[in-house]
Amino acid sequence: MSEESLNVLKRAFREYYFQRDAIEIPTRIEEREFGYLPFGGFMTRHLKLKNKGELTALLVRESPRGVYASCSYYEDPSLPMTEKGWKSGDLAFDIDCDDLEMECKKDHDRWTCKGCLLVGRGIRPARCPSCANTKILTLNWSCKLCLDASKDEIIKLKEILLKDFGMTRGKISTFFSGNKGYHLTVENSEFDALDQRGRGELANYISGKGLDIAKLGLSKNADYNNMVSRLPVLGEPGWRGKIASFFDDYEFEGERDDGDIKSKIANYYGKLSPKKFGAIIDLAIRSRGAKIDSVVTIDIHRIFRLAGSLHEKTGLSKKRCDDLNSFDPTTDPVEIKDEPIKVRVSMSPPFTLRERTYGPYKSEEVILPLHAGVYLMGNNLAQAVNS
Amino acid sequence: MKLVELGTEDLARYPFLDETGEYIRGLDLSVEEITRAEYHEVLERAKSRVIDALKKGTIACEFYNREIEILSFPVALVLIKATKIEHIISRYALAEAKRVETFLLKEKRPIIPIMFERVLNIEPIKARDGFDRLHLEYKIPLVDFLKRAVQFHTTSWRLVNRVIEEGFVLVTTTELVRLLREEIYEMIRSRLKSSSVIKLDQRLRDTVDEIIRAAPPIPAKFGIFSGEYPPCVTKALELLETGQNVPHYGRFLMTAFLLHAGKSVDNIIDLYPGVPDFKERVTRYQVEHIAGLRGGRTAYSVPSCNTILSNNFCFRNHNCGTIKNPLQFRRRTKKNS
Ligand code: SF4
Ligand SMILES: [Zn+2]
Ligand SMILES: [Zn+2]
Repeated sequence: MSEESLNVLKRAFREYYFQRDAIEIPTRIEEREFGYLPFGGFMTRHLKLKNKGELTALLVRESPRGVYASCSYYEDPSLPMTEKGWKSGDLAFDIDCDDLEMECKKDHDRWTCKGCLLVGRGIRPARCPSCANTKILTLNWSCKLCLDASKDEIIKLKEILLKDFGMTRGKISTFFSGNKGYHLTVENSEFDALDQRGRGELANYISGKGLDIAKLGLSKNADYNNMVSRLPVLGEPGWRGKIASFFDDYEFEGERDDGDIKSKIANYYGKLSPKKFGAIIDLAIRSRGAKIDSVVTIDIHRIFRLAGSLHEKTGLSKKRCDDLNSFDPTTDPVEIKDEPIKVRVSMSPPFTLRERTYGPYKSEEVILPLHAGVYLMGNNLAQAVNS
Repeated sequence: MKLVELGTEDLARYPFLDETGEYIRGLDLSVEEITRAEYHEVLERAKSRVIDALKKGTIACEFYNREIEILSFPVALVLIKATKIEHIISRYALAEAKRVETFLLKEKRPIIPIMFERVLNIEPIKARDGFDRLHLEYKIPLVDFLKRAVQFHTTSWRLVNRVIEEGFVLVTTTELVRLLREEIYEMIRSRLKSSSVIKLDQRLRDTVDEIIRAAPPIPAKFGIFSGEYPPCVTKALELLETGQNVPHYGRFLMTAFLLHAGKSVDNIIDLYPGVPDFKERVTRYQVEHIAGLRGGRTAYSVPSCNTILSNNFCFRNHNCGTIKNPLQFRRRTKKNS
């Protein structure tokens, strides 16, 4: 990144952090580990901050590209990981649209060969078709479809937390990640004390990993009536009910429904090959579970972007959005001003901010509102032009 | 709070309950007196408890005299503690817990939730109608369930395969008993670990020596492997050592790890306690397969911590730090010295 671009970004971030209440002050500050990524430098971790004053001083002094805090509470967060003394930790969940295998990625994602600088569209090839180089940069982009899809996932996640896990709405915080997804944390609940394995069980439940159809009552050896009597029905709690509701909605081609879910499940289980039936169960899991990044939930030693701070790739803020329905991820997290700036864009798929769509661009100079310029520069797709 | 009045019959079956202590205190007896002739039978029963536990992994449930049965439990604890051998302690605790499990499964049902509440301090709530077709009779809080279910390795204990509703997990009565057994095992084990060794007279010391000689010679085998292993490998070894079932993934991980740590196929097969010929052949085949001596002929690498975690066999403690693979495990004290 050019010196000039760095300065523009740094100035934009600084201006934001100088505002009062730019970020949400985390609870139990002195028990958390903090970290930040400065402009031009490496990540600093294992910081211990005593209070709100120290945190705001850090932000104003450094105006970092990224600032993070642990979900875990430690005896002494400044010590090396093995000596910190883990006490407990908020539950954390991450949904990223890159994991959702969206069709639209074929249109808006790009890759660049580091060898011959060839640019291609869609999913990154293993080697460059032109020079066979395997060093390829990818640009994971997001569009409205992607953002809507991640919103659907976070809504499903929240449902599971409330209905299945019995969590209280007031303890759940939902945030736009600042880039392509959502974060969710649960604070101050009885789940705080769970170790990694307990958290792993929650993560697997949410994503349906390890669901065993024998535990739904399905069996090739059982007597048919006996088996049917154990199958799930509509309205049952947990995964049994989710599977029943999926089968209720699912239309098998050229078949008519006789209304009874148990026999519908049993019939297809009997009729289809295990592979085909398994594929339907996989569909049910995708449709009724939430696609979270399990590692984030399990790893208690991670640090997370601070609520309210800016994402280094987009300049968008990690915005609280407890009311998901009314939240617009292309408008609400735009915090940077709209004064004009001239940038040279190498290339960019189209993107939307504050209801205005920009691009696509290819090797051109354009004048953009600062927040759109920052969005491109953060993604390393544009450079500021001296004017 | 007393939930039920327990009779001496109950104390004889469930001697780990607080009431046993009260009952014995009421008798005003000391350890020295146990060696007296009139307590001969108590000492004999204590010995058979211990020796059965070590040799067979179970303790007989039949008894003809309640008082002897009750008194023999604390005496057995004293004897076990005096051996000061870790694996004897675990093996004994497990056998006692299994004995309790046998009794509980034969009990009239209502005592099971009552015992559950006393031991785990969690009240199982009667499930609403509609779950009976799945034999789900009770529900317990999700977090309490999770803290314990992670110890079990079969698919039916995975949360994703459970019926859960509004923060509660539904369980069968048999599952309550299984959870109880685990808790009792831990309880007896930690009681033994934290209790102090009592000075014994010559006669009791001879009994302790007899017990040590009766214990299967597992410690010698495990001696080859002395050294510090990551918690996941240690757990697999511990399960083997106490004669419990090691889940498939745990075996795989342990074998791959030990092979990488330079152990031979024979070293590893020796770890499996006294398996009959046939089983030994199977074990040998599996170990050789992982070593790459059979089948595809490529040695398996040690799986990453993330993979182990998603197979539910990670038992991380603070010594694991941020390692990505068990092979990176170093005991903290080693690194510091
Ligand atoms: S973190 Fe790794 S080494 Fe430690 S217990 Fe888990 S899997 Fe084993
Ligand atoms: Zn190329
Ligand atoms: Zn898209």
